[in-house]
Amino acid sequence: MTENRTPDIAMDVEFDRLIHEPARLKIMAFLSLLESADFTFLVSRLGLTMGNLSAHISKLQEAGYIVVEKGYKGNRPQTQLSLTEKGSQAFQAYKNQMLQFLQ
Amino acid sequence: MNEKPNLLEIRRQVYLYYTEDGLADMSLGLVLLGFGLLLLLDLPAFVGTLGLIPLLIWYLGKGSLVIPRVGSIQPGRAMKKRFLGFFINFCLVGIGVLVLFLLGRGSGESFFSTYSLSLFGFVLALGISALGLLMNAVRFYFYGALVFLAMAGGELLKSSISAFDPFLIGVISAGTIILAAGLILLVRFLGKFPVISLENER
Repeated sequence: MTENRTPDIAMDVEFDRLIHEPARLKIMAFLSLLESADFTFLVSRLGLTMGNLSAHISKLQEAGYIVVEKGYKGNRPQTQLSLTEKGSQAFQAYKNQMLQFLQ
Repeated sequence: MNEKPNLLEIRRQVYLYYTEDGLADMSLGLVLLGFGLLLLLDLPAFVGTLGLIPLLIWYLGKGSLVIPRVGSIQPGRAMKKRFLGFFINFCLVGIGVLVLFLLGRGSGESFFSTYSLSLFGFVLALGISALGLLMNAVRFYFYGALVFLAMAGGELLKSSISAFDPFLIGVISAGTIILAAGLILLVRFLGKFPVISLENER
């Protein structure tokens, strides 16, 4: 039996799976526009639970895409997030790949 | 999180951070209201202190009402460049108009001296509208138009009304309307975003 498969076009393009997930893509997109944002800002904008957001942030942090700095502003705990150089390059590469794929 | 990722929407939400709480509207309204009242009470020397109003509202309002609800952000390089460009352009237009006004004054009756208050209103309206463009906040265009109409209308009516100063009444009215709009936005903002406690997250 001869194999008669159409080529899988999607397989030709290798997207960064870590960024491709919608919630993480949004986190990266927000941080790409900003020098830094705090955890509260992302909770209010993304509509995710804190636990869910923390899990996504941990994955991005493990990959070296974002840095997390915990501290206090007055009496309030504050968690600042920003893109690393590696994260910024990865997001730019993802954007370019996506644009190329859609053309 | 139902919506699909959309870069334009994300950009809009970042700029919304600066305007959705109504503090910018309240600052503008209070400055106009204060300006009108100080001139009405014949206290022009205190006009310079009005510059403190936006700083106070920003510092107190953001710190106690906004940050506990929607957090804080530091603008990125592109946003900072955009803000700086706006500020420089606005200053240049202001200086240009001032120079034209002073040159016009020197030459007796001129367009710039006859319509100086309207011109002032026009530059102010231009700045307010540009702020709206910068922040993607359409309502600032209406504020700009309102300020211009109030100032130009007041100047035109000045010669026919003597019981009160229509220019100052126009400025005070415009300031009150903008302040009220800002208050409504603030109340809506406080209702929409509850305070987020980060104790559990840590």
